[in-house]
Formats: sequence, C-alpha cells, structure tokens
Amino acid sequence: MSSVGAPRWRRRALSAALVLLALLWLLPAVWMAVTSLKPTENIVRVPPEWIPRPATLAHYGEVLFSSSRTARIGRAFLNSVIVSVGTVAVVLVTSAMAAYSLARMRFPGRDLVFTVLVGSLMIPNAVVLVPQYVLTQRLGWLSTYQGLIVPEAAVTFAFGVFLLRQFFLTIPGELEDAARIDGADSWRIFTRIVLPLSQPVLAALAIFAFRSAWNDFLWPLIAVNKAEMFPLPVALSFLRGAYASESYGPIMAGATLSALPLLIVFLFANRRIVEGVRVSGLKG
Amino acid sequence: MLRKARLREGRLTPWLFLGPGLLLFVTFRVYPLLDGLYLSFTNARLGRTQPAFVGLANYERLLEDTRFHVSLWNTAFYTIASTLPILAIPLLLAVLLDRGIPLRAFLRSAFFFPFTLSVVTVGLAWLWLLDPVVGPFNYYLKTAGVPVRSWLADPSTAMWAIILTTVWWVTGYYLVIYLAGLQDIPPELYEAAALDGASGWRRFWAITLPLLRPVLLFVVVTHVIGSFQVFGQVFILTGGGPGDATRTVVQHLYETAFRSFFQFGSASAMAWVLFAIILGFSAIQFRLLRGHTEF
Amino acid sequence: MADVESPGPSQLSRRRFLGAALGATAALPAIARQAGAQAKPTITYWNGLTGADGKVMDELNDQFTRETGIKVEQQRIQWADLYAKLQVSVPAGEGPDLALIHLVEIPHFASDGILDPIDESTLGTKGFRGEDYIPSTWQGGIFQGKRYSIPLDVPQHILYFNVKIMKDAGLVGPDGKPKVPSSGAELVAMAKQITKGDTFGFALGTLNLGQYTFGFHHMLWQNGANIYAPDLKKPGVAEPAAVEAAEFWGSFHAQHKVAPPANANARDAFTAGKLGIWLAGSWNFTGLRAAKVDFTVAPVPRLLKQPVVWTIPHQYVFPKPKAVDAAKRDAVLTHVRWMSDHVAEWTLKAGQVSALKKAHSDSRITGDPVLRTLLAQAPNWQFGQATPRWVAAENVTRPVIERLYIGQVSARAAMEDLARQINALPA
Repeated sequence: MSSVGAPRWRRRALSAALVLLALLWLLPAVWMAVTSLKPTENIVRVPPEWIPRPATLAHYGEVLFSSSRTARIGRAFLNSVIVSVGTVAVVLVTSAMAAYSLARMRFPGRDLVFTVLVGSLMIPNAVVLVPQYVLTQRLGWLSTYQGLIVPEAAVTFAFGVFLLRQFFLTIPGELEDAARIDGADSWRIFTRIVLPLSQPVLAALAIFAFRSAWNDFLWPLIAVNKAEMFPLPVALSFLRGAYASESYGPIMAGATLSALPLLIVFLFANRRIVEGVRVSGLKG
Repeated sequence: MLRKARLREGRLTPWLFLGPGLLLFVTFRVYPLLDGLYLSFTNARLGRTQPAFVGLANYERLLEDTRFHVSLWNTAFYTIASTLPILAIPLLLAVLLDRGIPLRAFLRSAFFFPFTLSVVTVGLAWLWLLDPVVGPFNYYLKTAGVPVRSWLADPSTAMWAIILTTVWWVTGYYLVIYLAGLQDIPPELYEAAALDGASGWRRFWAITLPLLRPVLLFVVVTHVIGSFQVFGQVFILTGGGPGDATRTVVQHLYETAFRSFFQFGSASAMAWVLFAIILGFSAIQFRLLRGHTEF
Repeated sequence: MADVESPGPSQLSRRRFLGAALGATAALPAIARQAGAQAKPTITYWNGLTGADGKVMDELNDQFTRETGIKVEQQRIQWADLYAKLQVSVPAGEGPDLALIHLVEIPHFASDGILDPIDESTLGTKGFRGEDYIPSTWQGGIFQGKRYSIPLDVPQHILYFNVKIMKDAGLVGPDGKPKVPSSGAELVAMAKQITKGDTFGFALGTLNLGQYTFGFHHMLWQNGANIYAPDLKKPGVAEPAAVEAAEFWGSFHAQHKVAPPANANARDAFTAGKLGIWLAGSWNFTGLRAAKVDFTVAPVPRLLKQPVVWTIPHQYVFPKPKAVDAAKRDAVLTHVRWMSDHVAEWTLKAGQVSALKKAHSDSRITGDPVLRTLLAQAPNWQFGQATPRWVAAENVTRPVIERLYIGQVSARAAMEDLARQINALPA
C-alpha cells in the first residue's frame, strides 16, 4: 500500500469519488439492460429514461422464443457453454501433461519443443485463419462443436504449457523424488502429487481458457454456417443485423442475456477470477 | 536409486505426456501456419480445389491495394493512440485503489466487470450508447453545452470512439494486473521515502514506476499484439467506416477471404505481412528492454 | 511390477454401466430421427427481410406450418451478410433449402454454381406459370437458358412525407397535402426549408445512408446512367451522366446539409418526427402505420432526367443441397406455392407489391392509397443489370460512395476510383 498514514477522512473521500466513477463506469451496461426492458415505442424517446415505465419482457421473449428464430439466443448460449467447457477440458489435459514432461523429464528435443511453443505465442490468429478454415472444411468440421473447440484449444495450449511449466518448476523436487523411490511411475506422480498441488494455477488457466473461448468471435463467424450452432457472440452480431431497422429492444435483450451468465459467475467467483488474472498476468 | 527408478519408465514416457498436446499443436497451429505461407503464393480461392502457384503475385497486388494500406495505417494509429490511455488509466486507478480505501473490493469488481463481457456485447452496448439521436452520451454532453456530433459517423472521431470503447472494456483487466504488481512492492520502501520527506508524487516516480517496470512491459506487449489484431469492436461499431476510416487489417483480411471476394491466396499474403510486422515489432521491443525482465 | 493403476472390480462394473448409459444416450438422436422421418420435413429458409416485413414473413410462415404441418426454420441475416453466408455455406454442403434473394444476384450465384435450376416439369406440377407474373420478374429468373428462381414481389422506392413537418414548414398545398417536388432542385429547396436543429429535410435510404447503394443506383438510373456500360463489361460509372448523378446523390449531406450523417437511422428519425421527406423502400410503410406516424406518400418524382423508380424484385431460389432430398424439395416448392397463393396478404401487411398479377386487382390492395401509388409506378420500374459481376461491383461501391457522402472526395474522383476498382475485380 502506497499510502502512508493518510487521514481517514481523505481515504473515505477518495473512496466516495471512486465509487461515483465506478457507477458512471457501469452506465453503458446499465443502459443496455434498461433499454431491453422498455417497450419499443419508448426506446427512441429523448430525453433518455433510465427507469423503464412500463417495463416489459417482450424483447426477451422475442429473442428466445420468436418464430423468426433469427437469434436463438438461448441455443447460442448453450453452444457457447459447450464450446468453452470443452476447450477448457482439452486445454487443461493437454497442457498439464505437456508441461509436466517439459518441466520434469529430460529427453532429446525438449528445449526445442519448448522454444517452439513459446515462440508460437507470437503468432497472430489472423495468420492461420484462412488455412485453418481450409483444414476444418476438409475435416468436415465446419459448423460442429469440435470445429470450434479444437482450434481454440490449440491456441491456448501453448500458453497453458508456458504457464504450467513455470509453476511446476517451482514445486520442490523432494516430494516427487520420494515417491519415485517408493516405486511410483511418472503418471502416478503427476496425477497424485503434482496436479493436486497445482490447483490454483489450473484454476487460473481454466478461467483464462474459458473466457478466451467464450469471447471468440472471428473464428466462429466464419467456421459456423448453421444457425443452430452459432455461439453467443456470433448470434448476437446477426441479431443486430436482423433487427437494426426495427428496434434496439431485441438487440439489447440479447446482449443483456449474454452478459448474465458471466456476471453471475463473476459475482460468486469474483476473487477466483481476479486471482486467475493475476497469476496469468504476472507469472508470464 | 532415483536414476534406476527413472530409467525403468522408458524413453517413450515424455512423448506420451507430450503427445496429445503436441498433436493438437502441430495439426492446428504449425501446419496451418506453414500452409498459409504456401497459400500466399497461390491463387487459392473458395471453391477452387486446385490452386495454382503464382509466385509473388499476391504480395505485388498488396502494393497496389490501397485499402490494405489504409487498413495498415488505421491499425497502427489505433495501436499507438490507444497505448497511453490503456497504460495510464488503469495504473492511475490502481494507485488510487491501493491506498487502503474502503470498498476497495467493490471498486475493483465494478471496473473489472466490463472485461467479463464478450466483444460483441461491448460493441452493441456502446453502439447504442453513442446513438447520435437518442443515445445518452450525446444527450448529456449536449445539456452540458459540449458540441456533439455523430462520433461513429465522423471519420475524424470514429477511431477515438472505438478506442474509448476498448478502454472501457479492458481497463479492469489491466487494473487487476497493476494491483497485483503494486502489492509486490514492499511498503517499507514507501515508509522510508516518506520519512525522508518525499512527496506522494515523488514516491510514485522514484519507487512505484521503476518497480512496476516488468508489469508495464507485460501490459504494453500484450496490448500491442492484441491491438494489431483488433476486429470485433470495429466490426460492430463502424464496420470499418465511415469511408474506411476505421478499417483494420484483420477486417480487410476477413472481407477478402470470407465476405466479398473469397480470395484465400490474397488473404494469406496479407496475413503474413501482418505477421512480419508483429514479429518486427516484438523484436524491437525485446531488444530495447532486454535484461530488464525475466520471462 | 505391481500395477497400482488397475481398477478394482467395483470400478469396472461402474465403468461398464457408464459406458452403456452413454451408448444408449448417443443412440437416442438416431432413434428419434428414424421416428421423425415419417413426419413432415422441416425446411431451412434464409432471407434478408430485416425490416418490418420480416415480422409479416414470420406470421405467414407460422400460418403455413399450421396449415400444412411443414416447419419452416427461418434465418434472417442482413443482405450483405446473407450473400456471404450463402457463398460459403453451399459449397460446404450447409446451405439452406430455400433462400429469398434479389433478381440482380441470380446471375452471380447461378454462375458460381450456388443455385439449383428448376425445370419446366417441376414448375408445371406446382402450377407456376409465366403468364401469372409480371413479365420482367419472370424473365429475370433465367440465366444462360436455365431458370433459377420463382418471383415473389417487387420492393421499390417511394416518397414519404411527414405531414406535421411539412405543414410546419409551410410546404403544403391548398388541400393541406404535402407538396411534391417536381425536380431535384425543388427537392433540395424544400429540404432546406425544413432542416433546423436536429430535424433533417431529406434522406435517401433506411440505415447506413452513406453506404445505401440502392439509393445510389436509383439516382444513376434517373440520370440515364448505370454501373456497367451497355456491354455489361466496362464500368459505366465514370461517364458524365453517372458523375452528375453521383454528385447529386452526394450533395444532400455534404453540400446542402439537409440529410442526416452517414450512419444515421433514417427510419427512426422519420418515425420520431425528425425527418421531413424520405425516399425509401416500400417495405417501411406498414411499420410506419403500426407506429402511428402521420405520413403521406407520393410517386417518386423525376429528380434528374427520367422518372425512374428503383426496384429490386425478390425471388425464391433453391441452393444446391449436399445430397438430393426429394421430400425436402417438394416441401420447399409447396411453401413457395402457398406463399404465392397468399401473396395478397403479403402485399397488404408487408407493403411489397406482388410479382403475381392476380393480386393487383384485389380490391383490398387497390383500395389502399399507398399500394395504389406503388402499383401506379409500374411503367417506370427499373432494376439492376443482369451480370454475374453486379454483386461484386456493389461490394466495392459501398465504401466509395460513403466517402462521397461524407464529403471526403469529389464525385468525379469517387467515380473514377470506383471505375478503377470495378475494372480490377477478379473475373
């Protein structure tokens, strides 16, 4: 803490000012939610009304159940969950195993592999966009869950290896040595000793991978053509096109819905998420 | 005894651990990277199953592709113009929050919240907020007597509006990183400096900034590499307009390959030019700051 | 070596049970599909009807499903994205069973192999006959000797007036009706009288006014110019008549300051009473009526040399499927037949004049002043040129005209740039 003995009233005043700023900061999100609850004719009213009078859930009904099924936000949300969870699973499994071998085992080519992996963090996703599309099409994976999970996991894999290897290196070797003398093989040591000790970092990686997959926009935009397979960001962007010349109500309803799940997760796992950001930011 | 135990496992074990991830990585990162390079020398397009080799033709065409040049310029402008706000604003907030003030956890969460939203949600929220006719942003500015215009429709302000949106989105993330960095600074340093009569400002310059250097480096590098690839916000807020004023490289690539022309060869050439630029930048960055950080 | 990893007996049976359960669950979709195969097929249908007419299409689809049992899964994407998705998804075998596109795009998609042709016998079985349709819409579906589409309607431009704004500006005739400008210059003068504060006098287009190629084409045609020269190969935009039209089109915002900014929503502005004269699509008027806007319409006047009315007929097309599915194709054609039979409702509720002639004599339609006006514009209808390169030209046109709209370039420079870009389009 850089404040040294600042008087209490000053700290309180600073806090109050920052709270005001924070509330202001949240206004765009609030405006989005408020708009989603207004009936269409009130949405284009000036001056802006911050409390919807009357409030209506019609737009939510529209984006979730409407017969035009343009947005299918509910389905899109499910798709995002499946893809994100799938990505996290693949990333955790592959990076943990790879990081362990790179941290603890000696074999020819080890340093080369690690350098290549770290170097790959420089590769902008745009560079592989087109060939990845061609590959995915050839595999028949367009508009499928695996077509979204696998490429996304491949990107996060390198980062995961980097992060986990750093962490594994900090685990004192005596635990593993003792186990080995007792006759345990690498797999057993990995699963029974190393992994349990790595829970915080694994959680951090999981959160990072989840958010990255959840937020992915450009790849699903081109890799998914079936409306029922769109993940949330893509569905939202089409929602905007579909309703732009009618009303912002459904658009804002869709956007608010998309924010809710992570908001709920955030409210409950706030500290964990922030911790995850911390660990991913500093140790890497 | 240890050695014997290790040998018992066999040479294959490391590769068994590495295998799944490596397969994933090689198939979906290495292969596409190299395939992209190959494609950039062909006339590949959607539906063309046998692309023909065309040498440097795609790259030559880029020299004449004025929209590509514009998009490079816009991307560079966006990256540079957004760096200072994204460096400074979260830092300022972090320093203020670090003073042991009440409600610190709430404040941190409030600023972090936008970061949990997807880029499309952020874009849509700001698109509506900035609506020139009914948006609150313009309405309150007008009541305060500030001359307003359609920020997203004016080529001289559109990019700044996008930068503002991005700052809103990512400040919380960098705030948390800075906070963690600040926590690693031993408070004794500040106490000692205060005893020596150093003002708060001086303490910031002499202690905080230098010790935050690795974090600052991380923030700059992360931000710059991400900014070169900006797409989502621009796509939603302006679609590259007005009149290509906010068109970015990735958007140009996307439209060339998947929206208007379906030219995979050209798009791959563009991608490699972008890659070369990012590599070049990273090399300069690391050379400039070599020795100051441990990675 | 004692393998401490091997599972005990209890674990084995648990695993086996899980495996069986998973297997059974995985089999469910297959079983369901078997059962479903006996039921009516579901058809996927893409269109770009993002205006008020989209809702009407939804209702008609629902009615169709109620009457026939065939489910219609509709996907609405704005036109520019729709073309792109069609282009990408059909080769990948993921295209829709039915799509609604515009007449002008048929040469492009047909030549790219995206569409399935329809033969005479199929048309015959469902009762589609050329003589039922407005000739130009029926003929327009043929490309290189094969038919690719069945017409639906003729969306067109019409001139809307906000009655209150016109009255307040004193721009009404002795009968209290808004005065209709008889030339481009008069339109500008009227718009200038209206423009004040945040109220604008005139707008051409709905959204993204700066990129409204439909309006741009309209002005070109009114001046006797077009995107391509009559040979459909060379660009025609650098011709004097075209430059003149472009200059007129670009003058409303940048020069005369009577039109809203490039990304404004003119429809919202007109509805909110912030726009006086609006040249826009006929598909908007039912939405205006629903929002209880006090407006009148007039036929598109002769703003430049000819009183051309811009149209963009909708056509049903049949994207190439991955594998031939006779049941699906039949369901699709049943849907098109049904929509054609109910086209009068479509016209009444969505404001789109039908391509089918019989609906024109429907008394409900002739009794509606707006629809009457739309029908009366028929002699002046014009639509885009029948070349596969129309869509590509439109794609490059958008950013160029946007620069013109915001006053960044002169009309001559913009048109020369556009001509250059059109020439550089891949063949």
